[in-house]
Amino acid sequence: MSNLMFRNLPRSIDNRAAEQRRINRILRGFLFVFAIAFLVTYALVCRAETPDAEALLKRSDLYRNGWPSYVLHVKITNYESGKSDEEKLYEVSSKGTEKSYVEFLSPREKGQHVLMLGDDMWIYLPDASRPVRITPLERLSGDASNGDVSRTNYAADYTPVYLRTEKVGSEECHVLELTAKRKGSTYQRIHYWLRVSDARPVRAEYFLTSGKHIKSATFDEYFPVGGRMQLRRMTLYDEIRHNSHSVLEYSGIAPRELPDKLFYQGRTDRF
Amino acid sequence: MTRRIQTSSALLLFALASIAVAQDDLPPESRRDVRYSIAVINDTTLYSNLQVPIPKYLNQFLLEPSFALRYKPHWSCASSVIALTNTYSDTYTQFRVKEAYVGLSAGDFDFMTGRRIVRWGTGYAFSPAGVLDPPRNPTNPSDRLNLNQGRDMVKADYVRGQHAFTLAWSSAILAPAGSNLRDTTAFRYNILVHGFDTSLIAGNDRGGDTFGGLTFTRVLGQAWELHGEAVWREHEAVLVGAKYTTPKGITFIGEYYTPPNIPYYRDMSISPFAARQHYAFLYVGKQRLRELPGWKQWDLDASMVSNVNDRSYTAIFDATRRFGNHLSFYLHMEAPVGSSTSEYGAAPYSSATSAGVKFQL
Repeated sequence: MSNLMFRNLPRSIDNRAAEQRRINRILRGFLFVFAIAFLVTYALVCRAETPDAEALLKRSDLYRNGWPSYVLHVKITNYESGKSDEEKLYEVSSKGTEKSYVEFLSPREKGQHVLMLGDDMWIYLPDASRPVRITPLERLSGDASNGDVSRTNYAADYTPVYLRTEKVGSEECHVLELTAKRKGSTYQRIHYWLRVSDARPVRAEYFLTSGKHIKSATFDEYFPVGGRMQLRRMTLYDEIRHNSHSVLEYSGIAPRELPDKLFYQGRTDRF
Repeated sequence: MTRRIQTSSALLLFALASIAVAQDDLPPESRRDVRYSIAVINDTTLYSNLQVPIPKYLNQFLLEPSFALRYKPHWSCASSVIALTNTYSDTYTQFRVKEAYVGLSAGDFDFMTGRRIVRWGTGYAFSPAGVLDPPRNPTNPSDRLNLNQGRDMVKADYVRGQHAFTLAWSSAILAPAGSNLRDTTAFRYNILVHGFDTSLIAGNDRGGDTFGGLTFTRVLGQAWELHGEAVWREHEAVLVGAKYTTPKGITFIGEYYTPPNIPYYRDMSISPFAARQHYAFLYVGKQRLRELPGWKQWDLDASMVSNVNDRSYTAIFDATRRFGNHLSFYLHMEAPVGSSTSEYGAAPYSSATSAGVKFQL
């Protein structure tokens, strides 16, 4: 009997080892399938959680460009060491993402206007004898630049990349990095904070091609116009001269039918 | 008591709701747009080392009101006049009409009649293609006292998409005595294509020349602008120029200009027997010296215009300081250099320094 047992022992061990290998194979298979499933699920969840940067940017643009064709007034007050030192007033007429016409209304600048057609820009100075072509670098001059007033359609000018979510004060915000995609863009790069709940712009940081952080902005106040929330006040901080900032106040926003000939570069009318 | 509080609360809520609705309203479109401006300038010029017996000081007092009205969507009118009181060897007052015109806009067409400043040239200091432009003075290209006057004309514009056609007829009947202006008929076609702002100009001076020309401007990269004009009027006149802006906002402009020696282009100091003239213009300037503490309200620029043939030139320096939203002070200096028979050296003084104050409303 015992002989028989000992004689059968090697076969029993072989069977058990084979059984063990089979179980291991099955377990490895399960583990592999589980790992794949986990990775696929993780990828899908991550993808679902990263908002569409392009859609967010387009939505945020509606707070500054509520209609395809509109007019508005901008009052810019420049502050130096906390004291107001200059006020400027502009009337902006904008049509689509490619055309805007800015008329200067403050006493010293009356009669001047800026025209933006796609990537091209002209300034008409009554004493310069002709409309003058503006280079992209000239668009940056001033506390609030020509570009800050006339180019506010960021989805047309920049390619957005979603970075992260973070809090600005008490607001939970999406953070986008915008990179210039055309020659006419005012800045090379923008960091843009948009409120999570409605994509409303909250804050921005502006960078030059050299990488220099030139300005920051806070979008301070919105108000309802024709059933839409529109930007009423923003502040631009000079990051090179830290004691200088400009407050831009928007008013008189209204949709208007604007003729194409308003946006003709040879125009020299007084208005 | 409770009912009274409820009623008051309801009224308050209604009032707040009314305010909210009122804020949400779109502003109505006005049928009339009015623009006006007034500039008052007092400019005093001191001439140094005078070589002729004339007064050393010139004082000019200018009052420059402008007004424009647009009655939407079709009618517009504008006027801009100057009252100028000159005190030199004696005192006299002049009244000049810079612009006074009415315009009618109908579809893609715009018509205007009256006196109007038209600018077709692309050059800063010189403009051979500006056939209807006010005369360009290269030592004062920005017309710092705004003394330029328009031409009396009838003009029609047709703007369709990227294409703009202009036909103008200008009369010389009201031109100042002694000017060489003639009745001019001119046509311009302007198009923006691949970043080139290009114009083709053709026309005729009554009893004089027929002319044709081409102008362009083009921005290259972030900092460069190129411009040029080529005109045929008896002979060719060519202007090429460039503008460069540094990242700190300093602007450089350079121009080279060569007109034929014909009466239309010739300066009084140039002999009719002289050869074709060559000119160079250089400018460097910066508006708002923001980088320097306390200099944000300053503009500084310097330029030089030279006749390459006779090697004479005039150096120019300008400084402007703004105060608040209405007031500015400026200094303008000109120093002509060259032999007494040269174009710029013929000026009867070694330098002219102007200081002035400007109030704008």
